Amino acid sequence: MKFYVCIKMVPDVNAPLQIKDGQLIQDADRQILNAYDASAVEEALVLKEKHGGEVEVVCIGSAKASETIRKALAMGADKATHIVASGDENFDSGSYARILAKFFEDKEYDVLSLGKQAQDTDAGLTGSMVAAMLSLPYTTNAVGLKAQDGKLIVKRQGDTGQEMIELPTPCAVTCSNDMNEPRIPNLKGIMASKRKPMEQVELSSLDLSEDELTASTTVLGYEEKPEREAGKKFEGEADEIAREVAQLLDTEANVI
Amino acid sequence: MSTILTHIAIADGKIKRSSLEVLSHCKQLADQGGHSVEAVVVDSNASSFVEGIQKYGASKVYVVEDPIFKNHMNTPLLKALVKVMESANPSVFAFASTESTKDILGALAANQNAAVLPDVSSFELMDGGVKAKRPVMAAKIISNTQAKGDTVLVSVRSGSYDLAENETSAEVVNVDFCMEDSELQAILKEIISASGDTIDLNEAESIVAAGRGVKDEEGQKLISELAQVLNAGIGASRALTEAGIYDPSLQIGQTGKVVSPQLYIAVGISGAIQHVAGMANSKVIVAINKDPDAPIFEISDYGIVGDLYKVLPPFIEELKKIKN
Ligand SMILES: Cc1cc2nc3c(=O)[nH]c(=O)nc-3n(C[C@H](O)[C@H](O)[C@H](O)COP(=O)(O)OP(=O)(O)OC[C@H]3O[C@@H](n4cnc5c(N)ncnc54)[C@H](O)[C@@H]3O)c2cc1C
Repeated sequence: MKFYVCIKMVPDVNAPLQIKDGQLIQDADRQILNAYDASAVEEALVLKEKHGGEVEVVCIGSAKASETIRKALAMGADKATHIVASGDENFDSGSYARILAKFFEDKEYDVLSLGKQAQDTDAGLTGSMVAAMLSLPYTTNAVGLKAQDGKLIVKRQGDTGQEMIELPTPCAVTCSNDMNEPRIPNLKGIMASKRKPMEQVELSSLDLSEDELTASTTVLGYEEKPEREAGKKFEGEADEIAREVAQLLDTEANVI
Repeated sequence: MSTILTHIAIADGKIKRSSLEVLSHCKQLADQGGHSVEAVVVDSNASSFVEGIQKYGASKVYVVEDPIFKNHMNTPLLKALVKVMESANPSVFAFASTESTKDILGALAANQNAAVLPDVSSFELMDGGVKAKRPVMAAKIISNTQAKGDTVLVSVRSGSYDLAENETSAEVVNVDFCMEDSELQAILKEIISASGDTIDLNEAESIVAAGRGVKDEEGQKLISELAQVLNAGIGASRALTEAGIYDPSLQIGQTGKVVSPQLYIAVGISGAIQHVAGMANSKVIVAINKDPDAPIFEISDYGIVGDLYKVLPPFIEELKKIKN
């Protein structure tokens, strides 16, 4: 099976964050492979190991994103395409999706996979947008993948349970990070990644109009979440404090 | 005057409360700005929900009824929504942010060339679009975002708005729907674990959530007893859904459900940011944890420092007394 996995470089949500004048200040050095994308890469590698084929990663991003691409290659992806963007374009999900759709327009593949959302924006739109633009059968929030008779069998988490969906190929799927533990590249993988092909594609060569790249959503600024104050802490005899809190939930918090 | 369309989600044969919260908010926005608010319900049994929807102020209810909607599948749902959007021509189309919504929102936006703001915690209308607050970076901060366009799609986190009844005699529009098998792009083979008779976490007034501190069957029994006394839904941290102790659909957090009940009791949960991202909007948070420095205490209204096996039995006993 030929897999294309779309990956994104995102700021590490665990790094310290600061907001100054409505702007988000982050440590530029702490940029990582989006965790959901890492799961999508892992799952593609597992299916390739089982059934053969090829895994290629595609990343839209600044020059720095090549580090993220190397990580996916070091995990075991066979090759990569880096769609080079300067990094300050203010793309939204729609812009990313239109770039990807254009790129994939004339490509051949069985499965196009993506993380179900990016950890920075938590939007979760790009996957189903690309699928719609390419008229591909798709499903989202996969928690397990299987290949069978040229079809992709997806276990996805729905509202009332897990749904088993059969998709003909070519198809698109977005992956949850619940499905696997992405492998950590070993030294051999890291060395090998340096020799793997990484093709660079200039955004301008994709023939997209200004309009198609323009985001329809704009971030006006960031603000702190209203802090939840720590309330009362009860320490002491289990019996006593348990009864006391039960009473307070009734008389003070009014939630019983 | 423009139209605000709201999607009414059905799960397990009931209207999802979260979509009525969205309708309640949209009704208010419509009244303020002189717009009309309409609703769409897509289900195998859609017409049976019209009365429930009319209580919340929609002036028109689009009903798309077909056996194909018995279970969620994205192709038919998209087709139905596109059809309704073409007749309603909404400037805003608002959804509750459920898993089914997440499955189709991007595709619908692409298909309709609409701007889209997913998973917002609040939104308002502005000239030529919508302004919203969105929790981002694992819900650690809020981004103020605006979307401009003739149509803006919005999905709203559950618990963001209160229900407000507003009885109307909405006009009912039955929408013809038919789908050939050949149009079905994907096939639903099976539903593996339906939550069945458990209480839907998006709807629950109270939630009892179990974490790794709940180590054995005795612990799980205490969790069930506590949930029963409170008529609460049961949730879990990822530690326990990954271990297979609770169903994955019960996971609360960044990768699980985002909930906002009146009362959330976290039992043996440390309070990792990925868990907190899913429950920090609960009205009242109670934590039971034996580690006095557990991060969960920083966001709890009532923190009980103690061993859950010792705390829960008297706690349950006292709640029973109060309930009677
Ligand atoms: C990308 C990503 C996404 C994630 N998404 C989610 C998510 O959606 N939801 C989620 O929950 N997690 C998520 N996680 C995992 C998260 O980081 C934590 O690992 C997880 O929430 C920990 O679960 P826990 O609090 O139950 O376990 P632990 O962190 O192990 O905490 C157990 C707590 O129980 C207490 N305890 C132990 N025994 C007792 C006892 N007898 N009585 C009282 N207290 C006791 C301990 O003091 C401790 O505080 C995610 C992680 C990543 C990296």
